[in-house]
Amino acid sequence: MITPLAYAVAALALVSMGWGLVTAVLDKPPGKAQLLYAAGLEVVVLVQSVVALVRLVGGFRPAETATTIGYLIGILVLVPVAFLWANTERTRFSGVVLAVAAAAVAAMTFRLVVLWVPA
Amino acid sequence: MSTTVPAAGGDGRPPRTSSGPGRVLVAVYGLFALAATARGVTQLLTQYAEAPLAYVLSLVAGIVYVVATVTLARGTATSRRVALVAVSVELVGVLTVGTLSLVDPAAFPRATVWSAYGSGYGFVPLVLPVLGLLWLRRTRPRPVR
Repeated sequence: MITPLAYAVAALALVSMGWGLVTAVLDKPPGKAQLLYAAGLEVVVLVQSVVALVRLVGGFRPAETATTIGYLIGILVLVPVAFLWANTERTRFSGVVLAVAAAAVAAMTFRLVVLWVPA
Repeated sequence: MSTTVPAAGGDGRPPRTSSGPGRVLVAVYGLFALAATARGVTQLLTQYAEAPLAYVLSLVAGIVYVVATVTLARGTATSRRVALVAVSVELVGVLTVGTLSLVDPAAFPRATVWSAYGSGYGFVPLVLPVLGLLWLRRTRPRPVR
């Protein structure tokens, strides 16, 4: 984990969440830019997980290692699954699905920051 | 809201459980399926002795969420029946565990998703089964006259 990167992930995720809610309120399915943004979010999440896992392999031991590893891997599946689920039926609710995944990414990232203290 | 729910086939039939707002419901169920199952498995593998009851309950909750997610996403007649059972178990579970965790905290030294009615998860675990039951009612097939 790199704390500034974690806050960047959380901020990007919160924007994705807001975007999803806005398109839902406007009664539109997510647009191309919105979907590209979600893909970009996933890339940054992936970088964060890889960096953190490399540091774990390198010997860093947080207080709850198993939970931390679970979060680092679990956080990777949220956006791709939501992306597919949102696109198989494109309505205003697709945006809410993306927003749910993005909110979870933000929440899990904040939790990871808290967990990332030496044992 | 009633005008925004796409009816399957557009002929006035109720929407499938996985359609319209149901997609969001399935997404939230999927999220909790992942969270509770992963939490239960991790805790049971790494610290079983600390709070066996709480950790087994976490895993049971996770399995209930997995079943609800899959059956709500499928939405066939059989799936609907299974979903009704799963969501009902979930409601009873969150109310029972929620109450017990407040009345007898010693029995739950470690938190589960259902502790204190899911307060650690923004009370979503309490709201979700209610929405699930309402949604199953809303999407129930109408009898042929």
